[in-house]
Amino acid sequence: MKRFINHEELARDSRFVRQDSAMVTILAQVPDDVDTLVELLDKLTPMIEKSVQGTEAAPLFEAYGPAFMLVTLNEPLNPDDPALDSRLRQRFHGIFAGELQALEGAGRSLWDFPDAPWEFKMNMARQCWDETRHVQIFEKLLDHVGGWVGMYPESSFLFECACSDDPAMRVAGVNRGLEGLACDVFRDMIRYAEKVGDEKMRQAIDYVLADELTHVRFGSDWVREFTKDDPEYLERTQEFRRSVDKQFSLGGARSNREDAAIPIAWEDRKDAGFTEEELQELVELSGGGPSRETMREAARILLERHRARSQEAGA
Amino acid sequence: MSEAIRMYPGAGPDERTTFDAYSAFDVPADLRELHGRYDVETTARRVRNFRYAHEWMMMIGGGWVATIPELPVKTGLGKIVWDDAQSADQLGRRLPELRCGKRSVTTSEAANEGFAALVQEVAEPESPDLTIEKITGMFDVLKPHLLAVYDRMGRETDQISDAPTIEILDDVVRRTRKHIAWGDEVLGRLCDTEARRERRGKRAQEMRTKLEACGGVTGTITDESFGAH
Ligand SMILES: [Fe+2]
Ligand SMILES: [Fe+2]
Repeated sequence: MKRFINHEELARDSRFVRQDSAMVTILAQVPDDVDTLVELLDKLTPMIEKSVQGTEAAPLFEAYGPAFMLVTLNEPLNPDDPALDSRLRQRFHGIFAGELQALEGAGRSLWDFPDAPWEFKMNMARQCWDETRHVQIFEKLLDHVGGWVGMYPESSFLFECACSDDPAMRVAGVNRGLEGLACDVFRDMIRYAEKVGDEKMRQAIDYVLADELTHVRFGSDWVREFTKDDPEYLERTQEFRRSVDKQFSLGGARSNREDAAIPIAWEDRKDAGFTEEELQELVELSGGGPSRETMREAARILLERHRARSQEAGA
Repeated sequence: MSEAIRMYPGAGPDERTTFDAYSAFDVPADLRELHGRYDVETTARRVRNFRYAHEWMMMIGGGWVATIPELPVKTGLGKIVWDDAQSADQLGRRLPELRCGKRSVTTSEAANEGFAALVQEVAEPESPDLTIEKITGMFDVLKPHLLAVYDRMGRETDQISDAPTIEILDDVVRRTRKHIAWGDEVLGRLCDTEARRERRGKRAQEMRTKLEACGGVTGTITDESFGAH
């Protein structure tokens, strides 16, 4: 078995539909400008249309247009939202896929770095089991909200962005970038579960969040250990983590902005070893990107264009 | 007065060790005998050999998780990776107690080049359509072999002097039995055609031949532990 695999090689059973991660990664680069966003996403429309075929995302594509994922991503979960069910299912499906990729990332850290210290291997092995349980938990929670595995396409951008071939950068990307994002998402989901009084959801995710804090701590400890006595290496590693954090901010959907769908879980992250300085940095780098208003407007234009094209094709 | 053998509280008649009353104070005797098959140095070497197997099975399992499409196999393996890590960790902690020095806790050692090569052969299957070959090598051949070796060592090593090793092997054996049963169930489901059953049989035969050739995990074994599972 070779070392270091590409995200496209992650093995999935026949229920899964894969989607190019271009749309999600593009969000890290676009400014708060409707026209730029529309032009960029317009080019991706054929790819998006193809990837939703045969999944539950197809009707969403029809209803919201090519930017349906952005609209979903960028809106907070609100119990009164008429689209709540599909937002909830998309969110749980995305988390389920994220847990799978976290499991695969932790597993690969064992195989890709055979000469790493024993304690590192123990931490990664433990993380394998934890992520395994998270996959199982979110498969059940997906069912709990009326969803099923494979109902939406899966993008492997979490693995793609976070899985560096360098050990310090791998733990910075997976255990601080990806797991940090997980902390933000899970704190948000716990708030939602409390709001709607869903005790099953709240308790399960609270356990998951406890595990994720441990995984971020693994990351904080091992970045320090792998880069000790080498400030230049530490800086490169921190830079890599910043770029991962930028990608995982999904154009400000995860940020401390007023209109963010997922706020930064400040206290949880501090608990897990992020410094005040790192958190301040995260607030700054995640805050850029298109606002919710820009997203909505771009989504509206894209939907119009899509409808016009469909009509033309039908005529 | 009855001549019935007395046993320590909690022990059953089929336990290895029974105790006769031997004094006026009615204290039960310990019938275990001193002296086992392995001395301190040999046990230490064997423990390093065992640790090598578990450390590698943990790493291989970790690598395979991403390459296996069947979701229950992926998640099953995720737990087994942690079990093997714990086994390797426990075995390592025994080493300083066997006069190997403080730093020996993380020492793994292949008995010989043949066994090291065999472990790499177990790790070889990579593509997503080779789950049968992956699971067969580790769960039909390697783990049953380890189970047989540990079981035998647990009986043959000094029951009193080397009891700490026996305790660790008991834990490892318990986990390994579960892993073998899991692998057998997975393979039973995956091998649902004659052609697939043949793949399992062929892979197992190849791996067993190589395992026999190198003398197994300790490099010294020529006994029943190679028998078909
Ligand atoms: Fe997780
Ligand atoms: Fe995690």
